[in-house]
Amino acid sequence: MSTAAAGLPGGISQKRARVLGLVFIALSLGIFWWFALGSESGLSSTFKLSSGNEFVTVPDLSLPARSTALFLGTIAAFLGGLQIARGFGNKTYLVLGAVVLCFILAFLVWAARDRSLNMLGMLSSTLLRAVPLTLGALSGVLCERAGVINIAIEGMMLTAAFTGAIAASAIGNLWIGLLAGIASGALLGLLLAVLSIRYRVDQIIGGTVINIFALGLTSYLSARVFSSYQNLNSPGRFSVIEIPLLSKIPIIGPIFFSNNIFIYLMYALVAVIAFAMFRTRWGLRVRAVGEHPKAADTVGIKVLRVRYQNVVLGGMVAGLAGAYFTLGSVGRFDENMTAGRGFIALAAMIFGRWHPVGAFGAALLFGFADSLQNKLAILKVPIASEFLLMAPYLVTIFVVAGVVGRARPPAADGQPYTKE
Amino acid sequence: MRNRGMKPWLIAMFLVLAMFAAACAEESTDGEDTGDDTGTEEEALPGEGMTACQVTDTGGIDDKSFNQTAYAGLEQAQEELGVEAKFLESSTPNDFEPNINAFIEQGCDIIITVGFLLGDATAAAAEANPDQKFAIVDVDFFDFEKGEDVVYDNAKELTFQTDQAAFLAGYVAAGMSETGKIGTYGGINIPPVSIFMNGWLAGANYWNETKGAAVEVLGWDGKDGLFTGDFEDQDKGRNTTESLLDEGADVILPVAGPVGLGSAAALQDAGEGSLVWVDTDGCVSVEEYCDLFLTSVMKNMNIAVYDAIASVVDGSFEGGLYSGTLENGGVGIAPFNEFDSQIDDTIKTEVEELQQKIISGEIVVADYL
Repeated sequence: MSTAAAGLPGGISQKRARVLGLVFIALSLGIFWWFALGSESGLSSTFKLSSGNEFVTVPDLSLPARSTALFLGTIAAFLGGLQIARGFGNKTYLVLGAVVLCFILAFLVWAARDRSLNMLGMLSSTLLRAVPLTLGALSGVLCERAGVINIAIEGMMLTAAFTGAIAASAIGNLWIGLLAGIASGALLGLLLAVLSIRYRVDQIIGGTVINIFALGLTSYLSARVFSSYQNLNSPGRFSVIEIPLLSKIPIIGPIFFSNNIFIYLMYALVAVIAFAMFRTRWGLRVRAVGEHPKAADTVGIKVLRVRYQNVVLGGMVAGLAGAYFTLGSVGRFDENMTAGRGFIALAAMIFGRWHPVGAFGAALLFGFADSLQNKLAILKVPIASEFLLMAPYLVTIFVVAGVVGRARPPAADGQPYTKE
Repeated sequence: MRNRGMKPWLIAMFLVLAMFAAACAEESTDGEDTGDDTGTEEEALPGEGMTACQVTDTGGIDDKSFNQTAYAGLEQAQEELGVEAKFLESSTPNDFEPNINAFIEQGCDIIITVGFLLGDATAAAAEANPDQKFAIVDVDFFDFEKGEDVVYDNAKELTFQTDQAAFLAGYVAAGMSETGKIGTYGGINIPPVSIFMNGWLAGANYWNETKGAAVEVLGWDGKDGLFTGDFEDQDKGRNTTESLLDEGADVILPVAGPVGLGSAAALQDAGEGSLVWVDTDGCVSVEEYCDLFLTSVMKNMNIAVYDAIASVVDGSFEGGLYSGTLENGGVGIAPFNEFDSQIDDTIKTEVEELQQKIISGEIVVADYL
């Protein structure tokens, strides 16, 4: 451990380990001070864990507020002590996660003291909020692993949301709308690919132009078309599909297996892309193109073709993410309704270290910050709503700057390739 | 290496294209009905040759609530007075000032800026162009440094005491709630939004006080509460609503323009609860969700905007404050529509009485916060 000065992928320097230990202690003191002393003794916090649709109804979890906070604080303090004394080596981030979890749980117990909180609802909205982020991040993974930066996820999502809504309403079939959304994403992907591969336009600028273009075009068309033809903006929504048996499992069922098609597609895509990218010959080639295109070229991989292919695929996945807004969530299109989720997706991709599963985890974290914000505001926690709304973005900054630290993008990311 | 580097003309071309599309979105002046209005040929309308121009807040002209209601006033003026109605949409707050300036250059007879967030830009424009007439919705100009009210002779401030109408809606909602919890959330915590939530809370409190009940209001405590952060993210609106339903609220008041449509989707999928729409009668502006609307807190911006335009046409325009109240019909609650049969007659009569009491000043909304 002492030799791992500048950091093996999982390990950290001794100094940093000490500092982290102090942070853990500080968090535990925070738990004692705010959450244990802040809860009057005798109050209990109730967490609802059942939707009433499962095999067995899980009883509400009722915890004594003060002693629970004390218990969680003790765990955090203990871990902090161990961290300073001997460190956890490459499990440090896991321990950091555990301490932060203690803090959040203690916070929730304090916030919900003498009240009840629907934990199940909070977790399922975490997953739902993570859907467009995960899909957007997957789009980024596909493009960037092949060496093309895709900052246009937002614009692709917005365009697909619009196209999906209008196609589904015009033809009266949600699946057609979904396909149209994916196709429009693919088209913008192709545009990005042509700009950045064929014409070697700076990829950040190319992506930004697509974002501005998409916002302008969809706003114009929606103001023009939808104000006079409202029936073109009522596509309906995909309904919830309950997976037999699985959806009846207590706690897990209602959260993961009682959702609409987008959520299941998301699971599938995370698994498929993770497998394809790291376990197949195709994935090896893509990664070679993203890391060292010249070497890839030398062994006969068609660099530009791989890049075209991946950027278009990325566009399709972003299109799916966009269609979620209109066909999976609200059932109509309105101006700028993606509201910057595409950029958070980009952050999720970086936080997830350009890995599909990592990106999914990161998206869940943002989703959690988002739904936590809602619950805290409902529980009347004395924090200004403006600050609560910052939570997902604060998490982004904290995580990307503090925890991810030295995340390494594919070496040739953003660089056009020219055969010499 | 000869061919390295990007082609500047290509970027330039795409930038121009993108800007063009963006500009199109903003400059979509409405020409639909100009010129071919029936009746205009037979008899010249008083406002013929004049233009009334609206700059929207973000959210779009067809947002089913805020911008759209104000624009209804312009359309009415176009039909009845013969003025030409135009609008510019603001995609971001950065568009406010350029949009206002574009209309000043076009020589509009009155520029109507819709929304609290346009306050600063409008005040600056009104001060710099004393001959240009303005009307602004939801702003009462106020100089915070000097602590005094500001009046521009060329700017009409159209404000609405929506808390009076929301009070009535909150009262009915408290009476209708089966779970004993009603909810609300807003877009951004700014006065024209929170005033709805204040009225909602006060109405529920009044119900509790007179009936000895304990209906709880989730999402607003008189100062702060539940917000989505903008007027665009409908997915967030849906999510926020699901959170409120999870915690047991069964009547919800979303004060967030189109974001509220996310609530309607959430309720429809959940198959429970009802909504109170804002700004317009939901059963008229969002017909497809009519079965979800218990009632609506109407903020009759269209009437105020129409009156402002009419005053320009007949030359009686003067700057200063207009305040829409229950008394002058500037605010009100919509019919109960599909819920009509479910609401007790006693509640209906009580609402009528409450309305009279608020008009007469016997009940002051702020006393019940």
